[in-house]
Amino acid sequence: MAKLLEMPKLSPTMTEGQLTVWHKKEGDSVAVDDLLAEVETDKATMEFRSFDKGTLLKLLVPPDSLVQLGQPVAIIGEQGEDISKLVPTGGAAAPKQSGAAKNGEATEAQTAAASRPSAPPKATPDAPQPPTANATPNATGTGTATATPTPTATPTANAEGSMPSPDGRVRASPYVRKVARERSIDLSGVAGSGPHGRIVAHDLERAPALPSGRALATHAEADDVRPLSMMRKTIARRLTESKQTVPHFYLTIDVDAAPIARLREQINEDLAAGAPRSANGDAPAPLKVSVNDLLIKACAIALVRVPQCNASFTPEALVFHRRVDISVAVAVPDGLLTPVVRQADRKSVVTIAQEVRDLAARAKAKKLRPEEMSDGTFSISNLGMFGIDAFAAVINPPEGAILAVGKIRAEAVVWEGAVVAGQRLAMTLSCDHRVVDGAVGAKFLAELRSLVERPTQMLVL
Amino acid sequence: MPSIRYREALKQAMSEEMTRDERVFLLGEEVGHYQGAYKVSEGMLDKFGPKRVIDAPIAEAGFAGLGIGAAMVGLRPIIEFMTWNFSAVAFDQILCNAAKIRQMSGGQFTVPIVFRAPNGSAAQVGSQHSHAMEHFYAQIPGLKIIAPATPADAKGLLKTAIRDDNPVLCFESETLYSVKGEVPEDTEFLVPMGQANIARPGKDVTVIAWSRIVNVALDAAAKLEKEGIDVEVIDLRSLRPLDTDTLLTSVAKTHRAVVAGEGWPYGGVGAEIVDRIQRLAFDELDAPIERVQTMDVPMPYNAKLEQLVIPQAAGIMDAVKRSLYRA
Repeated sequence: MAKLLEMPKLSPTMTEGQLTVWHKKEGDSVAVDDLLAEVETDKATMEFRSFDKGTLLKLLVPPDSLVQLGQPVAIIGEQGEDISKLVPTGGAAAPKQSGAAKNGEATEAQTAAASRPSAPPKATPDAPQPPTANATPNATGTGTATATPTPTATPTANAEGSMPSPDGRVRASPYVRKVARERSIDLSGVAGSGPHGRIVAHDLERAPALPSGRALATHAEADDVRPLSMMRKTIARRLTESKQTVPHFYLTIDVDAAPIARLREQINEDLAAGAPRSANGDAPAPLKVSVNDLLIKACAIALVRVPQCNASFTPEALVFHRRVDISVAVAVPDGLLTPVVRQADRKSVVTIAQEVRDLAARAKAKKLRPEEMSDGTFSISNLGMFGIDAFAAVINPPEGAILAVGKIRAEAVVWEGAVVAGQRLAMTLSCDHRVVDGAVGAKFLAELRSLVERPTQMLVL
Repeated sequence: MPSIRYREALKQAMSEEMTRDERVFLLGEEVGHYQGAYKVSEGMLDKFGPKRVIDAPIAEAGFAGLGIGAAMVGLRPIIEFMTWNFSAVAFDQILCNAAKIRQMSGGQFTVPIVFRAPNGSAAQVGSQHSHAMEHFYAQIPGLKIIAPATPADAKGLLKTAIRDDNPVLCFESETLYSVKGEVPEDTEFLVPMGQANIARPGKDVTVIAWSRIVNVALDAAAKLEKEGIDVEVIDLRSLRPLDTDTLLTSVAKTHRAVVAGEGWPYGGVGAEIVDRIQRLAFDELDAPIERVQTMDVPMPYNAKLEQLVIPQAAGIMDAVKRSLYRA
């Protein structure tokens, strides 16, 4: 019995996904847990694996399609099975539109003759600019010949049906697109009055100021317009939500970083000296610990000491977490991700260092699982390696605070009445004032300062 | 310019060409002694005699084939079917001989023949006698198809068809035979094939029609004018060759098109026109091309149901409004 395969929920917050590539094609046999496709969710590129076995009878969406949760993407069943009843005729996500077309293809024009609304128009491909060729009416040459021009390729079955697109794509008639090209009109600002918001010629008449006021730059100076990736959409949505709904306040400390820098050097020397050797005597690349790894550990301990800072605000209650799971912001090629180091308070610095290396590498490869990026209780963002002295970070909801770490600065300090060479480190705590008050934040930073300036505490806790 | 009926215009065309060229003759059921089933050939037997106005038995395949043979050896026959419905019996002759002999003989033979008859719906003649047969024939390379809507075009196109060295099929209409219109008396009045006529200029929507539906479209356009909608009506006149340039020029002006014609909606001339416009004038379209056709059913005998099934002005008006997003 053939069945529709629907877009599964591949991350806890996913509402839609970009199906980027199919790993099976129509006619391929599929076993349970076979990789069907890759889907870019709001969190990562996920593997879409089969829960069924059978033959992949039909792919309902092409690669690089934005697909809603639960929308059918393929049909699986027995080889040669009749799937005509399952193939969506009017666009699966627009069931109201499909009624007119369901009685067979011949009825489309018949409904026109019977003065009822015609079937929905075919969806246009995703390309924002249709080709410019053939704009002139004289492109034919068949006017006097008795030969009939050869029709071009027939549309695919799933090209039928049209729905309002949640991806912000502009729907406009071909004529409107031509006029927009000729007059350099930006259609994204024009409200469409046609079906599904289609911009039709009439809508351009109602926006007479457009050609001069909103003219785009000439082609040579045209902006590089890149469609939003899923990750960029998520960053935009979550950080806007954070800045607009979370009342941020900021506390900054400037600490003596010489002790932690010294400790790091010592740990790394010891790790190199004591690195275990394999049976054939080859030394594996020794693990190194970074200042950031030490700060993760320091924060974890400070959070244990000041649990009011390891908290989340909810409309009903304040939630104080018993676990210390620290999100670490990792820059990736087209955005950033925040993998979580779980129970950092109970892990050694070396274990933390190993985990962060692994998480960061997989974040850059977009291979993190959603659960590895969710449910942190506190965040650390470190821009020291980019030369930033100090900055303030945006809270990663529902966490209650985030620590922004700058670089270790070599500068003159006063030590026992004398000016000496010193190392300083500025850190800014952004707090959600609904759950973390100023005094609580200050208390946390005092503990953190104590841990950073006397870092052997980390070893004895 | 005298105003005469469509049937008289056809007779004028045949008579003038038979007078001009003695190789031209008329062959068909009831064309002689009965003066024509629809009186198109009234008086022609007396004028040209029984060797050139020949009554055929009820045997369409036979006399269609006889005509093709005569054309192959140098005569220029006009074959009248009582209606195009009955040409189905002679379909093999038209498909496999008339349309193929020139190609299969490597150009040794031409087939200068005209087949003509009323086509499409009439008034309660039932499902078997109401076919719009032009769609079947318009698909065939090697044939030319004309479908005049006015008496003048009936004369001018039929004369051009008789003078053409290829098989030409002329689609008339029972309901057009009595329609009057001004027709030039000039014996050299010829309307070229493959040239559409703008029956009514307009700027808002292009309505494309042929044969009797041109009049239905003009009726719809007149009513829409009162609603402030300016419709351009194009009378195709020839279905093959099809005047694509005129269609594209009009659509480039109006950006919207409605195709109206008798015949079932699946495939056919209407679908061909839609294909050409969307392919060759894609960037000009502001709305999907609409079609108004005979409904996808055998023609009912019941008079009210028959009118429901045939394209009407109201249906064309609705389609025009849909294309303007006003429905």
